[in-house]
Amino acid sequence: MKVLIYEDETYENFYPLTYLRASWELRCGAFSLRQRIEHLFPAEQVGLWARDILVPVLRRRYPDKPVNDLKALEGDDLLLVNGRALLTGPMDVDGVLKSGEELVCALIPKEKVSGCSGLEDLLETAESLPSEQRDIKVARYLWDLISENPKFIELDFKFFGPKVLGKLHPSVVVYGPEDKVYIGEGAEIHPYVVIDTRNGPVIVDRGTEVHPFTRIEGPSYIGPNCTLLGAKIREGCSFGPVCRIGGEVEESIVQGYSNKYHDGFLGHAYVGEWVNLGALTTNSDLKNDYSTVQVYLKGKLVDTGELKVGSFIGDHTKTSIGTLLNTGTTIGIMCNIVGVGALPPKYVPPFSLFVNGKITKGLGFKALLETARTSMSRRKIELSTEEEHLLRAIYEATKEERREAVKKYR
Amino acid sequence: MSQSVAERVKEVVARQLRVPIEQVTEEARFVEDLGAESIQSLELVAAFEEEFDIEMDEEEALQVKTVGGAIEYISRKLQEEGR
Repeated sequence: MKVLIYEDETYENFYPLTYLRASWELRCGAFSLRQRIEHLFPAEQVGLWARDILVPVLRRRYPDKPVNDLKALEGDDLLLVNGRALLTGPMDVDGVLKSGEELVCALIPKEKVSGCSGLEDLLETAESLPSEQRDIKVARYLWDLISENPKFIELDFKFFGPKVLGKLHPSVVVYGPEDKVYIGEGAEIHPYVVIDTRNGPVIVDRGTEVHPFTRIEGPSYIGPNCTLLGAKIREGCSFGPVCRIGGEVEESIVQGYSNKYHDGFLGHAYVGEWVNLGALTTNSDLKNDYSTVQVYLKGKLVDTGELKVGSFIGDHTKTSIGTLLNTGTTIGIMCNIVGVGALPPKYVPPFSLFVNGKITKGLGFKALLETARTSMSRRKIELSTEEEHLLRAIYEATKEERREAVKKYR
Repeated sequence: MSQSVAERVKEVVARQLRVPIEQVTEEARFVEDLGAESIQSLELVAAFEEEFDIEMDEEEALQVKTVGGAIEYISRKLQEEGR
């Protein structure tokens, strides 16, 4: 059996986080959605499928996997897995599984695979097969990933297990069951750190350093090569690789390679890669009247139905010191938010610069690209030509909404 | 009689950068002579767009270093649009 993890047409529901990545690259628990599917369905070959604009970037990112290449997956039965499916454990699939109207996965017999030319054909084939209903959550919005995150960290703990492979200073306090701690190889927990496992496991992945006076509440996942600087990590946080985190963070996901070095509160937020949150940047995640939070999605305000929703911050965005973000704020990719003196609007289009209460077009694409190159090179990573082309295409595609925002908020 | 482009540009510059209008000569450089910080330069571009109801390319606009350069750039833009 071969496996194909696919992204469907709902990717815009996950903007701004999916401008530069497929929806199956988003995180929930200790893994990305793709990684969890691969853990649960070990197969000799796993293929990936996403919208066309991402294909060059994804082919470079996953050189050993066929991307949007069905030919490479012929000759065997194919398990088609919805990349948004939040699967809780391994399953035997011999037909089509659905959760309500959403396809979760479908086993397509090999003779039917060879007759398909793309994802659309595969989905049509799946629709023609008898299906079975299963109670499996399929993420529809970013806030679904945030609300499911604590549960998935608990579930993912079994892939790590209670182990201390790195250094744990004798003064570190594990407050709660000690068998709910994983400290990866090369990780170092400095003196006077509290790991609170009373409500769930704490996973500190390889190479991560946790500085003194940090408190980590479980369930939480701290990815590889991160640095926590006297941080207060409340329950339900997941940080991807190479993040530097300080201040207070609660029930938030950071994709990776981002800095929130200083004090300031981040709650119920999803932050992309290469983001820098200036000192004291703080988001609200609860309205003063305790009503449900509304967010902008495809130009319209949508009620999330959730009482707590923080901010969604796109890749390469930077905020100034003292930036305050309203409940349910969405900031596009490559924005520059000088949030001193005024709250930015609840939706800031990609590549915008917000300053003195106004949205401006900013310094232009070249300058933004230069900043991205600089911040990535600090972590010894190069911005690829494919990524540059993708950024340019999104810059062009979002010109009109930026123009509108500049007019509205100048 | 309506104001010339040059007069309007100078008024916008004086207002945005909070400098006396007599300092806003055509030779005056935004950064060195009028003290425009990077953020003020962006606001100046936005203010020109609003005053003249034109669309300025941000990279091109930020290449303009003097008040005279801005007058020339905006006049050309208006001419292109047949105004």
